[in-house]
Amino acid sequence: MITKDSVLAALASVPGPDGRTPLGQSGGVTNISVQDSRVFIAITVDPAFPRTQPVEMDMLRKRVEAAAKTAPGVLSAIVTFTAERPTTNAPAGRPKARGQGDPQGDPVPGVKHIVAVASGKGGVGKSTTAANLAVSLAALGLRVGVLDADIYGPSMPRLFGLTAKPDVNDEGQLIPLENHGCKVMSIGFLVDENTPMVWRGPMVMSALTQLLRDVAWGDLDVMVVDMPPGTGDAQLTMAQTVPLSGAVIVSTPQDLALLDARRGIAMFERVNVPILGLVENMSYFVCPHCGERSDIFAHGGAKREAETMNVPFLGEVPLEMAIRETSDGGQPIASTAPNGPFAAIYANVARELSDQLALTEPAARPQLKIVVE
Amino acid sequence: MIPKAAPTPSEIRLKDKGRLLVVSFPDGASYELPAELLRVESPSAEVQGHSPSEKRIVPGKKDVAILRIEPVGRYAVRLTFDDGHDSGIYAWDTFVSMGTNREGLFAAYLEALKARGLSR
Repeated sequence: MITKDSVLAALASVPGPDGRTPLGQSGGVTNISVQDSRVFIAITVDPAFPRTQPVEMDMLRKRVEAAAKTAPGVLSAIVTFTAERPTTNAPAGRPKARGQGDPQGDPVPGVKHIVAVASGKGGVGKSTTAANLAVSLAALGLRVGVLDADIYGPSMPRLFGLTAKPDVNDEGQLIPLENHGCKVMSIGFLVDENTPMVWRGPMVMSALTQLLRDVAWGDLDVMVVDMPPGTGDAQLTMAQTVPLSGAVIVSTPQDLALLDARRGIAMFERVNVPILGLVENMSYFVCPHCGERSDIFAHGGAKREAETMNVPFLGEVPLEMAIRETSDGGQPIASTAPNGPFAAIYANVARELSDQLALTEPAARPQLKIVVE
Repeated sequence: MIPKAAPTPSEIRLKDKGRLLVVSFPDGASYELPAELLRVESPSAEVQGHSPSEKRIVPGKKDVAILRIEPVGRYAVRLTFDDGHDSGIYAWDTFVSMGTNREGLFAAYLEALKARGLSR
């Protein structure tokens, strides 16, 4: 009878991935499974290992297979390398190799809903909308966090008027900054405002995973995630790493922006992320001098689009100087003029959104059962 | 609110010592997928390449078994096979299309093996 312990004992003195520390001490063996006289051994290695040290990896594989066969009863041994570190073993503050959350479980502990605010096209006012929406959700009495996932062009530090560097707690987690009733975390707190982020896909993934998991978010009702524009690495990472409650799509009413909004919607639907609704930004312009209204980007396009695509329409926000000025000044209008007409518009969008979220409460979601016989 | 992708399965069951995956959907549809078929038709770029012309024919997987099933977001699972292959992300509609075309896919695979002088 082969036992995991007898296999583990046979492997104990084999040098691990670094060529020195024995596997028995390095904790590199993450899984052993036995089927009849065959054993399968999973060993955790650095994600870069296969690329940087292919020869060493092959040697490690052979050594482990040979050692495993010395255990009584083992006829064959198969070694699998995995680049994932089990979260329990990972030192706090270290990036996880690959953030595979458990959609049924608690992906980011204490966070009830994660909502992505996205747009197909840049420049439609997505970040401004996300910031005001977050403030308005907080005004409804919800505990709100804002994760700035637009790592190429982080806007949340400026929109929330935050410039300090976040502190680190005893567990090595970053402590989010707070203003206007929201906890905020952004890569922009960690780098200079003028430094360009020139990053490839895997770095985007690991940065986002850290912002999600290595930050002391505490208990939140809603985490609003400001996505970068488009349908790329950041969107895919978010869709794969955490079970998003849904996505809010921001678009201007012009056809050119709506075209991309449609792509954004299709992308989220492809990965089973519900569309919580569409917001029409820069919906119309009222001249402060003569009071005449101009539909600069046409008007109502997003509402029609929402009807066509069968997704909820959350509201329209006008093109308004005061919104732009307060945003650039780090004083979101929903927070600094809470009784004004624009705060009321965002409050409506926030209420519509929280209604949609209530529909996606975990209990209402389809549950997947995974059974291994 | 209604996603166009296939709905989330109600259950994914691994049977027969990892050699058979049974995927059931809320509408009652259920598909039995052998680990061998899932392995040789893995949606991973390691198998499918980046275009149909790059597709690789994977021989010798008659006895391959699935070791691990991990959820990916809301739309897929990652399957780890006992030969070390773990880069395939199986979306719900992948299961549906594999399940409904199982015989055809497998026949095509056997043809491709034969044409290359390979075996299961």
